[in-house]
Amino acid sequence: MTPPQAPGQRDLFPGALEMMVLQSLRRQPMHGYALVQHIRQRSNELLQVEEGSLYPALQRLLKDRLVKAEWEISATNRRVRTYRITAAGNRHLDREVSRFERMLEGIHLVLSPAEAE
Amino acid sequence: MAWFRSLFPRRRMYDDLSEEIRQHLEEKIESLMADGLSREDAGHQARREFGNAMLMEERSREVWLRPWIESLCADLRFAWRQAVKSPRFALAAVATLAIGIGAQTAVYSVIHAVLIDPYPYRGAMRMVHFHLYDKNPFPFDMALDGQQFAEFRRSPVLDGVIAEDKWSMTLTGEELPVQIQADRTSSNAFQFFGVPALAGREFSPSDPQTVAVLSYRFWRSHFAGRMDVIGKRVQLNHQDYTILGVLPQRFAWGGSDVYIPFAYSADPQRIASVYARVRAGVSDQAAEQALQPMLDRFARETPGNFPQNFRVHLVHIHELATGRFRGVLTILFLSVSFLLALACVNIAILLLARGEARQTEMALRKALGAGRGRIIAQLLTESLLLSIAGEGCGVLLALAGVRLLRQFIPASLFPSEAVIRINLSVLFFSVGVSMLTGIVCGVWPALRAARSDLRQAADAGSHKLAGRRGLQKSHTALLAAQLTMTVLLLACSGATVRRLSQLVHADLGYDPHQLVSTNLTLSEGDHHGWSDRVHFYEQIRKMAAADPGVISAAIAENNLPPSIIDSAPISIPALNAGSNAASKFAADHVVPQRVSPEFFATLRIPLLRGRVWNTPEMAHAAHLALINQAMQRRYWPGSDPLGQSFVLNHGVASGNAWVLVAPGNNERYQIIGVVGDTPNQGLDEQTAPAVYLPYTMITYDWFNLMLRIRGNAPELLHTLREQVHGLDAGQSVGDLVTAEDMLNDDTLGRERFIAGLFTAFALVGLVFALSGLYCVQSYLVAQRTREFGVRMALGAGRLHIAALVTKTSALAVAAGTGLGLLLNLLCSRTFADWTSGNSRDPQMLGIILAVLLVAAVLVSAIPVLFAAAIDPVTALRAE
Repeated sequence: MTPPQAPGQRDLFPGALEMMVLQSLRRQPMHGYALVQHIRQRSNELLQVEEGSLYPALQRLLKDRLVKAEWEISATNRRVRTYRITAAGNRHLDREVSRFERMLEGIHLVLSPAEAE
Repeated sequence: MAWFRSLFPRRRMYDDLSEEIRQHLEEKIESLMADGLSREDAGHQARREFGNAMLMEERSREVWLRPWIESLCADLRFAWRQAVKSPRFALAAVATLAIGIGAQTAVYSVIHAVLIDPYPYRGAMRMVHFHLYDKNPFPFDMALDGQQFAEFRRSPVLDGVIAEDKWSMTLTGEELPVQIQADRTSSNAFQFFGVPALAGREFSPSDPQTVAVLSYRFWRSHFAGRMDVIGKRVQLNHQDYTILGVLPQRFAWGGSDVYIPFAYSADPQRIASVYARVRAGVSDQAAEQALQPMLDRFARETPGNFPQNFRVHLVHIHELATGRFRGVLTILFLSVSFLLALACVNIAILLLARGEARQTEMALRKALGAGRGRIIAQLLTESLLLSIAGEGCGVLLALAGVRLLRQFIPASLFPSEAVIRINLSVLFFSVGVSMLTGIVCGVWPALRAARSDLRQAADAGSHKLAGRRGLQKSHTALLAAQLTMTVLLLACSGATVRRLSQLVHADLGYDPHQLVSTNLTLSEGDHHGWSDRVHFYEQIRKMAAADPGVISAAIAENNLPPSIIDSAPISIPALNAGSNAASKFAADHVVPQRVSPEFFATLRIPLLRGRVWNTPEMAHAAHLALINQAMQRRYWPGSDPLGQSFVLNHGVASGNAWVLVAPGNNERYQIIGVVGDTPNQGLDEQTAPAVYLPYTMITYDWFNLMLRIRGNAPELLHTLREQVHGLDAGQSVGDLVTAEDMLNDDTLGRERFIAGLFTAFALVGLVFALSGLYCVQSYLVAQRTREFGVRMALGAGRLHIAALVTKTSALAVAAGTGLGLLLNLLCSRTFADWTSGNSRDPQMLGIILAVLLVAAVLVSAIPVLFAAAIDPVTALRAE
């Protein structure tokens, strides 16, 4: 059985969501709902991430020890699981971002018609 | 509780995840409600924007999974449910494997312990004894004097040589003298054997002559296994020996009780038999060729100790111990391998039939997205679960089987050094073979399923128009193979049972009921005058005969029939006169038996003609003889043997320090009577021509006392020992053996054991074959129920349906049985050589065939009747 494609992943390349999560957490620790809100606002609502797809990404990051999670009481007096980026997560993010930038540069060069010849 | 939960990190992780997602949704709903939505709408929208919460949670969990463990657990659970769902299938598979593995391992363990590696001695496989053959088929044991032994030891083809003189000695210095088995071996013996002592030490060339090493058995039985015996003294034949040590349990060379150093004297008559180890890399033939010239020279120096014109032949010690039993054990091993093969075929049939029945399920799984690997993994798990269960039970069964065999194997069948225990390599082998069968046959249907698609399989499932041709073929072949092996097993069993019953009903020629025998051996040098010795023997015989519990007593040189007795050359002057007859009888041998005149009455051997010599005639060694019927048939078929004479041993009665020859014995005898035959070459061989002579003609330093008794044997033995002690304080008496015990244990024990084992195998094999047959037929019926329904709806008779079901299996049964019979006939000569059983007796084969066919018909009756009773309406509606 091939798994039906999750709509949230259709628009993003693999690893993009993780990268955004790590970048957000680098700024400040957050819980899941806050992460979704943060990403949505920062992208000017351009990226419509399906909220649920955040969780598998978070679990992958947890498993690879790039983030850690703890239950805390939020400012709104709610019991939330707050994620923090680890040192390994910081290194990983830097690596990923520079790789991503090189890739983007490549795509950009290919796509820009003026410098084709 | 935190520590406890930390033992299950994944469980906690999952709980956290669910909680987190729940909190997320709630927070979202609350914020939507703050935007003015109703709680219901907010809930809907939150869930819509979140996506499929279940799926997301599942995905999140999957991140953590080690997939193969998870699926393995799932497969195991599924396999267990399958086994519980069809317990008959599971039980059949497990029992089949267990019996196959258990029997194979137990029997092979015994064979390995008895045949392949029975001895603890260094280089045991190269240890040999020397037989000298002249024209006579019975070999001479080679014995050398001191000088010859010293030279023999230096032979480059041998790696260690010992001289040995085994004899009964008397344990004296106690209340009643006890006869024990002593092994006097040259002082290098323990270096030769290379087995360290259990306690104390062994003797070496530097030790004095008066030391002794005890066997484990004797140490346990006589000294109750006390450690403080070392350094103590033991009195043998009135001489003190210092106990140096105790040997380990497996050291049982010659079955002796004590080992003491043996020294050659200068006397060339002092000879001893020789054992040696052939140097590694030297073949038996090369060794024989190298030794022959040396032995020829020895024979010229001491012609009395060698036969004329002999060839030396090496006999390996394991051949001495197991002899003809080797062939039987080999067949036993083949049979039990058949049994394992049968078991595996049975498993194959079971798994294949089941796999076939589950093709629809496989196809459905495939259609729902299960990969080929997943399906294979699942079926593999199922068959491995069954294999492992079966193999576990098989190991237990093997352990029990080895114990059982150890109890039931007559001790005389194997060397006493052998330690029978489970053989790990064969255990691994049979477990491996059965596991492989399980894997291959378990996965086969999955591979097939992987090739087919749902439509095909579903068609097959819903229409079931006919069983697949290929599968039918493979089933037919497997069934036929099973039946072939079963026929062979049944034939083995039949032949051994038949032989046993022949032996049980064999004509002994004497009455074993209430007949006992014991051995008396003189201490060395006692009663060394001929008349003194004869007088002493006769005194003991008379004393025994006077006991109220004894009806009559006799003296004999040989053991009770049917023990095998060596023969001696004979010439009959009257017959040899004619030139034709001379060539016919020139190299003849007959069996000489030296007995007292009461022998015939005591054993109740009928005197057919003439008379027996009387006591005075015996006392002065009259040259009178009786012959048996076989002798009369050979030499005087139509004429009267009485008054005829013959010459034994070329007219030379050879004596030595222990064997005393009557004065004037020229080995010429006159026949005065004819008695009935008693077997003298073993129970199953034809009785050889035999002559009975007065035992006084050549008197050994031991004799057998045979008693026909009224009461019970143990009481009698005690009285006898006391009486003999009264006559000669140093004279011991051996154990009393009843003729019936001897027949049952030594003679028939082996045959009974073999027949029992073969029969057990054959029955188990038969059960396997029948369960295979039943399984094939019932799956066939189950698979074709709908087809049969259609056929019947279209007017086919029940008989026709029954015939359809029977056809394939009947073909397999016929082919298998036929092939089995053919193979049996082809192998019957080898079988006869190895077991002296006849596996081609038509009556026996008839019985086997009848048993097999009746059983096959009975077993297949159930599925056939079931098929014939199919109600077309129900069958068509059932899908």
